[in-house]
Amino acid sequence: MLKHPLMRRVLLLMTIGLGWPQSSVMGAEPRTHWAFLPLDQVTVPEVKTADRVRGEIDRFILQRLEEKGLTLSAEATRTAFVRRVFFDLTGLPPSPEETQSYVLDNSPQADEALLNRLLESPHFGERWGRHWLDNAGYVDVQGLDNDAAIISNTENKWLYRDYVISALNRDLPFDRFLLEQLAGDECIDWRNVDQYTDETQRLLVATGFLRNSADDTSANELNRRDVHHQILERTHEVVANNLLGLTLQCCKCHDHKYEPIPQTDYYRWQAFFQPAFNPDKWLQPAARQLPNVSAAEKKRIEAHNSERDQQIAAVRSQIAATKLPYEQRLKELKLSQLPEPIRADTLAAVQAPANQRNEIQKYLASKFEESLKVKPEEVTAILSEDDKHQITERESQIATYAGQKRTFQHWQAVYDAGPVTPTLVLNRGDPLLPGQEVSPGMLSVLENHLANNPADLVAVGDSSGRRRALAKWLTNPESAAGSLVIRVRVNRIWQQLFGRGIVSTTDNFGVTGAQPTHPELLEWLGRAFVADGERLKPFLKRIMSSSTYRQSSVRNDEHSQQVDPDNRLLWKQRVRRLESEAVRDSLLAVSGKLDRSVGGVPVPVEPRPDGSFVVKKEGLATPTSAFRRTVYLLSRRNYHPTLLNVFDQPNLATNCSERSISAVVLQSLTMLNDAFVLEQADAFGDRVLKNGDARDVRIASAFELAFSRQPTTNEAEWCAAAMNREVEFHRQTNPACTDVEAENRAMIRICHTLLNTSEFLVIP
Amino acid sequence: MIAMSRREMLQTSALGFGSLALAALAQQSSARATETVGQRDHRRRTHFAPRAKAVIMLVQNGGPSHMDLFDPKPELTRRAGQTMAVETFQAGNTDKLMACPLEFRRYGQCGTEISTLLPHLGGAADDFCLVRSMYSEHNNHTEGLVMLNTGKIFPGRPALGSWVSYGLGSENENLPAYLVLRDSEGYNTSGTLLWQNGWLPALHRGTEIATSGTPVLNLQPATPVPDRLRRNQLDLLSQLNRQHQQQYPLDTDLEARISNYELAARMQLATGELLNLSNETAETQRMYGLDQPESAGYGTRCLMARRLIENGVRFVQVFPPVKPQFQPWDAHSNTKTENEAICRRCDQPSGALIQDLKQRGLLDSTIVIWSGEFGRLPVSQNGLGRDHNRNAFSTILAGGGFRAGEVYGATDEVGYRSVVNRVSVPDLHATLLHQLGMDHNKLTYPHHGNDETLTDSRVTDARVVREILA
Repeated sequence: MLKHPLMRRVLLLMTIGLGWPQSSVMGAEPRTHWAFLPLDQVTVPEVKTADRVRGEIDRFILQRLEEKGLTLSAEATRTAFVRRVFFDLTGLPPSPEETQSYVLDNSPQADEALLNRLLESPHFGERWGRHWLDNAGYVDVQGLDNDAAIISNTENKWLYRDYVISALNRDLPFDRFLLEQLAGDECIDWRNVDQYTDETQRLLVATGFLRNSADDTSANELNRRDVHHQILERTHEVVANNLLGLTLQCCKCHDHKYEPIPQTDYYRWQAFFQPAFNPDKWLQPAARQLPNVSAAEKKRIEAHNSERDQQIAAVRSQIAATKLPYEQRLKELKLSQLPEPIRADTLAAVQAPANQRNEIQKYLASKFEESLKVKPEEVTAILSEDDKHQITERESQIATYAGQKRTFQHWQAVYDAGPVTPTLVLNRGDPLLPGQEVSPGMLSVLENHLANNPADLVAVGDSSGRRRALAKWLTNPESAAGSLVIRVRVNRIWQQLFGRGIVSTTDNFGVTGAQPTHPELLEWLGRAFVADGERLKPFLKRIMSSSTYRQSSVRNDEHSQQVDPDNRLLWKQRVRRLESEAVRDSLLAVSGKLDRSVGGVPVPVEPRPDGSFVVKKEGLATPTSAFRRTVYLLSRRNYHPTLLNVFDQPNLATNCSERSISAVVLQSLTMLNDAFVLEQADAFGDRVLKNGDARDVRIASAFELAFSRQPTTNEAEWCAAAMNREVEFHRQTNPACTDVEAENRAMIRICHTLLNTSEFLVIP
Repeated sequence: MIAMSRREMLQTSALGFGSLALAALAQQSSARATETVGQRDHRRRTHFAPRAKAVIMLVQNGGPSHMDLFDPKPELTRRAGQTMAVETFQAGNTDKLMACPLEFRRYGQCGTEISTLLPHLGGAADDFCLVRSMYSEHNNHTEGLVMLNTGKIFPGRPALGSWVSYGLGSENENLPAYLVLRDSEGYNTSGTLLWQNGWLPALHRGTEIATSGTPVLNLQPATPVPDRLRRNQLDLLSQLNRQHQQQYPLDTDLEARISNYELAARMQLATGELLNLSNETAETQRMYGLDQPESAGYGTRCLMARRLIENGVRFVQVFPPVKPQFQPWDAHSNTKTENEAICRRCDQPSGALIQDLKQRGLLDSTIVIWSGEFGRLPVSQNGLGRDHNRNAFSTILAGGGFRAGEVYGATDEVGYRSVVNRVSVPDLHATLLHQLGMDHNKLTYPHHGNDETLTDSRVTDARVVREILA
């Protein structure tokens, strides 16, 4: 009876005694828009098809399906399921051995064991870290990244990437994860400690979360007040977009036209971040980066180094003293070679400062200055054996002292840049038109005693404590703000596993956003996430153990198709194309070239004159660095390796909450002809050739590697036929080509063809 | 309603693209999926009869000096040396007005005054409308260029060409609707940022076409594959993909992927023919300055643009040379010598393109835009140069139903600000879409829960500048 999700919610609210909700969508008070309310306590529905229920999630999904006379599709095959789970948890396909061991495991715990194993894989953090890095807008570069050839790689920015990967691998609770990223610097008094610890590093590096807005103020002409404001604005707009699923940009200049967000809210939100990115006390990028040693340690290092410098200077002057008599002797010798009458005048001329020489002196200097100069090698040549020995010893002493000097690096962190200055509402968003002062505060539509308690706004050491207070408010799951943060988060997790969020507008939870397809499920998932300690791993396990996730994506059912053509109700799992990173990583996994090492400095990429971008081949950290996982490639805003670019790697002018998926012809051209793809195809072919001598064994091996399954009879025949034609071609056109060579070439081409299939590109 | 599969749609195309477009329109309601996939999107989103069907955008990046090239200011010469407070960008500015060191003359029957450095462009004065009252929003090149191309100063929004591709699709089955011709030696300022599809589907991204070598990246492998083997491979691929696709018969993405492999093969042939300039007469080649080393590069791109338009491409963007300066019109130190140098490279091909299109009867249906991202200041910088000025610049609009032989709008006496009949970049975009048959408020794309438009007129107040339409 109540078909519209909103109407269902109305019923729900009425039955639990909250009365008729005055949703803004219905033209009334915006505060009752579903997303702006605290997480609801919902009842798990009863369903008819109880045999398909593995957990509560299935009940919510089945209830909506049953209302429409629909059902879940059949269980996915085990080979499809293992592939799906591998991609979803690690971003990599399973190896034939891994597939085999799961498929042959008949125990009832096989699924759980598989999930557990993959959740503990170091590749889990790489996969889910990449999703979060998208949301945060992480890049390795500092500025807008306008020019292909200019790469402004920022020192140690990648430590934040590794922080995220490690946090996910450690399954850091989400509230803690947010606190560290928003205000790690306000969790400890790092300014006054004697030594930094690993914890100091982790907490300061975590704030790299807020260092992704393009900052070109290192160029003096862009080091201007309006640009400072822009950087501050982009920083906090991205946070709002990422965590609250709201677009604040619109209310910078005026009250939001579509959302219940007044202009003052924009500046109240800005006030949390202004002390760190303060246009009144702007720090250019070089000044903003933090030494990776404590202030006390830095002083000690400087004292230590200055001591060494003094020692070096002392030894240098000893060397100079030893050399001095030799230099004198040479000078006199050279002077004596000049005609006697001009000796004194020439000496006076070269000794006079160049700008004070008279005409004659200028002439003499130009004529003889060069020949009177004593060259270091001339001195060395006439040193006595003793002196020579002594100098050599002293030089090695200098080298020793220099080697004892200590250095330090920098981190890209966020911290308050001095005492707080007032945050002013800017008329029309113009820094030249400042208006009333505002204090930091939650968006008014989310404001309540839990998420705007002024008592929380207390200084931490030399820091205003504003971001710490914000983190506290945003991570309180009982508050409206905290509830929204959780909804946005669980919706994005759902989106990753099903290709579409319960709210399809993953970064618009406002009144103009899409209505959830399963409003109660979203509330329930939010509470389940909290119940799981806001830990991602048990939460993922919950979803991935459901029949809803486990069901097949293959289902050609006219009735379901007619009732729900867009499969919004999940009568089958959605087949999803791999993201750009997973395409490249899969190519490397299948070719056997993948370097699985974790973490570290980014692998450099470079532009080519033909307009392509590739991973650099020279000067790499290790010979296999070029084959590392894509998350470790240098991350730019606008210029991605061609392979990634054609597969929709997003431009990170700000951040990305949902990858767009396209099927354009450049993808086909790249998979057919790109040098990197061909290289992987060759390696894949070589691998297959080593896996057996018989053609059918090789074809089977190629399918196992590429698709985690055996070829069908048809497929095996088609491949064999294509190989026969190619072998015949080689025989006809190149008599020098042996039968074995022809067979091998044909096999390698089969491998390349498999990489070009649609099946290779999708999660089944 | 059951969405029609891409294959079925292509089968209906035997009746021509018109019916295909209708079929597509009929199923518009069903589909985010069909919205984001496929190499071809033939849906026409025109709202009224178009005056033009294609656009060539000659991007003149760097900030051409309007008061030295298009907008004579006798008062600036008279008041040279006097002080004036202006908003500057870089260091090295004085507050002293600097006279134009270059000559102007009247061109054509209309008598429009343009620099003597631009005889070829000036020679087409009777065929274009010169807008002297443009203004932009930012004094930095990137922001200015991003605005000129997307309507806003911050990156991430779709380019004008992407919107045109989205609105009109392509008339050529073998080529994308939006092509970009840049100097093979490198990118101009902001590079690929200027032809991004933003949140529009990726098939609307500008595709770079090289004027020599392999025209499209990865069109061929480094080591050629014999045709028979490639055909053999594609046949097997098609068998495998069709079998896979049978499991997902309604997935238009998979369907598009299959047809893309056929398109890839056709593209190889089509671009090869297109890029072969040898069937252009020597006279045509000379006309575009292909016989002179200074103008040959940009001239080739202008000539190529005409060939692409002839072949049904919707939107071609042409970029000027990147050497010695990747923002060639950026005359900070000597407005005279720097403009002399770049005009030698860019004037003849730009003028030739307009003339050539006219001779071939293509100018009526093709819009040619010649524009930089902003203008320059009336005060001197670094001695004899001029700094950036977002408050005023000039833009040329030829063909496609724009008034010919006209000047529209004016700057103040010294060229610092546009003051009469001011035209914003969103106004320009609204007008261009209008000439292509589209209402800028109705050409929308859903994003973040909003129906986004190119011009965002609710905020920018963009309007169609009807006064410059014939």
